[in-house]
Amino acid sequence: MTHRISIIAIGCAIAISAGGCASFGPKPWEKDLMARKEMQIDPHPMLTAADNHIFFSKEASSGGRGFAGGGCGCN
Amino acid sequence: MIAEAPIPDRQAAPRLTRSGPDFLYLFHAMATPCEVRLETEDQALAMAVAETAETEVRRIERKFSRYRSDSVVGKINASGGGTLAVDAETASLINFADRCHQLSGGLFDITSGVLRRIWRFDGSDRVPAQAQVKAMRFLVGWKKVRWEPPAIMLPAGMEIDLGGLAKEYAVDRTLAVIARVTQQPALVNFGGDLRVSGPRRQGGRWKVAIESVEAEGHAAGLIELADGALATSGDARRFLLKDGVRYGHILNPRTCMPVEHAPRSVTVAAPTCIEAGMTATMAILNGKQAETFLEREGVRAWCIR
Amino acid sequence: MQLKPMTGKRTGHFRESLAAFSATLLAATLATHGAEAQDSSSSNENNNFGPGTAYTQIDGALLVYKEAGGRVQAIEPALDTQIHSADGYVLNVELIADAVSGATPNGAVPSDLSQTFTTPVRVTANSATGAGGEGEGEGGGTGAGTGTGGTTTVTGASGGSTVVSSGGTASRQYTVAPNTLPVDKGFRDRRYAANVNWSQPLGDLTLVGFGAGFSREHDYRSITANVRAAQNFDSNNTTVSLSLNMELDSSFPFGGIPTPLTAMDGAWKTPKERSKTQTGFVIGLTQVMTRRWLTEIDYAFNMQHGYENDPYRIISVVAPSTGEPTSYLYENRPNNRQTQSLFWDNKIDLDPTVTDVSFRFFTDNWGIKSETVAVSERLNVGSSFYVEPDVRWYHQTAASFYRYYLVAGQPLPAYVSSDTRLGAFTSLTYGTKVGFYLSDRTELYLRVAYYQQTGNGHPAGTFGQLRNQDLFAGTKAFFAFVGYTWDFH
Repeated sequence: MTHRISIIAIGCAIAISAGGCASFGPKPWEKDLMARKEMQIDPHPMLTAADNHIFFSKEASSGGRGFAGGGCGCN
Repeated sequence: MIAEAPIPDRQAAPRLTRSGPDFLYLFHAMATPCEVRLETEDQALAMAVAETAETEVRRIERKFSRYRSDSVVGKINASGGGTLAVDAETASLINFADRCHQLSGGLFDITSGVLRRIWRFDGSDRVPAQAQVKAMRFLVGWKKVRWEPPAIMLPAGMEIDLGGLAKEYAVDRTLAVIARVTQQPALVNFGGDLRVSGPRRQGGRWKVAIESVEAEGHAAGLIELADGALATSGDARRFLLKDGVRYGHILNPRTCMPVEHAPRSVTVAAPTCIEAGMTATMAILNGKQAETFLEREGVRAWCIR
Repeated sequence: MQLKPMTGKRTGHFRESLAAFSATLLAATLATHGAEAQDSSSSNENNNFGPGTAYTQIDGALLVYKEAGGRVQAIEPALDTQIHSADGYVLNVELIADAVSGATPNGAVPSDLSQTFTTPVRVTANSATGAGGEGEGEGGGTGAGTGTGGTTTVTGASGGSTVVSSGGTASRQYTVAPNTLPVDKGFRDRRYAANVNWSQPLGDLTLVGFGAGFSREHDYRSITANVRAAQNFDSNNTTVSLSLNMELDSSFPFGGIPTPLTAMDGAWKTPKERSKTQTGFVIGLTQVMTRRWLTEIDYAFNMQHGYENDPYRIISVVAPSTGEPTSYLYENRPNNRQTQSLFWDNKIDLDPTVTDVSFRFFTDNWGIKSETVAVSERLNVGSSFYVEPDVRWYHQTAASFYRYYLVAGQPLPAYVSSDTRLGAFTSLTYGTKVGFYLSDRTELYLRVAYYQQTGNGHPAGTFGQLRNQDLFAGTKAFFAFVGYTWDFH
């Protein structure tokens, strides 16, 4: 009996992962646009870091996408 | 004219027969009945085409069969964790499989063949135990394979199987080699995966029957085809039935379990056979959502539930 | 049993991609179609930089930064190397150098009289001069002096400062003209930083990683460490990430650590060094909302403890009715700070443009609240060129202990700073990025931007000569960033 229950449980798991009825957002094959460089959340991390460094040295705020600790004595 | 799905005797010798306006050549390869039709009156041409076609199919079968130790696939599977360089054609096929793996979010996976060790779709109720299924997860997953074309490193114990592509690929290839011999209208049908070179001579369409999943040999529908390919995924005769749950033979590599609530059969029309086959497989892998997937993709398809 | 025929007019994305793959496969394997087949197969392999492929990415960049009014200027080259293995292991090594020079406001308010400030300076025994690379406290001056005793005047090319030498240490005086913002022109520093990060898939986790960083200036050192983990869910549409960060900063200002709220003088101070620790975390959620919309939300919390002061910064003490400066005190800030920020970023593909809109809300226990809105719009021009203008608006309120100046005779607050960075202001940044794909694997990009702070230079309640001065010492800056990215197998 326990065997039977476990099979049903696995069956449900498949329905979720393969059927995708519980999924949110596009299907893998609809990620063609997401795969483009311009849709990367941060296509130029060094540029972002340089910007953040400038803002951090002139403004009181930090934080955002990552950890904006200074690593600089610019306060 | 109906290109009826032939069920020839496995031992039958290859033969060329007249079938309406066509010459029909039947043979058995890749564990499936194969049919080449050429619309011509020239028997010598038909024979030349038949030989060209069969040579190409046998070449592909020899090269990619997972049952042959001297095939490329056999060698890769026997590499025991070592690295192997493959030829350009194999690399292209593996690249294609790799892209389909990515495109499908991992649903299409050429390493999932080992699941046949535990899932035997013989119509019985032998569903493997959960522990067996769990153990397989270490042996399934394209991401575990190091693929740096043309080098492949397959972890020991894992296997690749290009069977999910080879038949459709053979259809496309065969039609291409025929086109180098003649411009006469041709149809290549390997076990229900087929492609035509174009319309018939008088501009007519090729008529293809979709086999019934319940009564073998009965047509469930008729498709007219002027161009392109058809492929079918799902097989009514390959399943397990336990406690009222029907396990179809398409396995989800991510769970190592059959896909549930999938249509029993999906036939897809596409410009090439390999596209049609992959789309049909993807539809089945989408289970309950198969029709939604096909509709969204704008695919000409026929589903049997 | 039912047979359901379906006929579609549209072309789905799966179908589109698959068609391309199939065409590639069939073209590549028709061996007798020689050249054609080779072309497509070779281009396939080269363009494969996705997951499951080993490759290296090198980024080289140069930042040039220049503030208006002859204030700070900096030049910062950087090099970043990322090595990706086919199994998803990534090693990232980043090296940054930074040369900063120029004049920086010292925190005092302008006056209608000239003002003279005194800071420590080191006189090396041989050269007996504060000028040059070693001289933190000397800017642009050339001169000579004696190593011991006496007074040596250094002719400052720009600084006009005087070095009063006594033994190995000395004090330097610089004078600021009437009605100008007091700046210390002797600001010059170099910074070197290195960051190393590692990340990899681990067990059920999509990614775990850790990293360490080291940054060193003449008077400041920072060591950072981080641990992070990320998990993808739901066909990779959702990513949840957590990052823990630690930082240890040491300040060893030239001339020692001044005692807070004491008068500025040229004496060398003890202790030589004070430090600050930071610990924090960032929780992030990235969600692919639709085929065209990607969103990310990050919450960051950071706790700082230790030496928060700017050791060089002073605040004017002015006479009650005239507003004339009577003395200058070293600033003092609370020795702990907790900050929180919420960041929300959206990328929306409106082919052929991609819009990025982000918001950030920040608050801390010093009484600062800020809001940031940034928008950029990328426009692809052809397949290998794009233009991306951007604008950023930022506003912050002042820290509770921010003062423009102190008034003589009034009680001294426990904490006080006149640092513009802690005052209320609004800043606007306008920029434009242009990028060129020189090949599938190389990109050259350039961004230029103009940054301007605006604030209240005439706060209510000022008196005497201060009423005629602009008390807002905000920054206007121009900066340019040029970067080059190169991927290779």
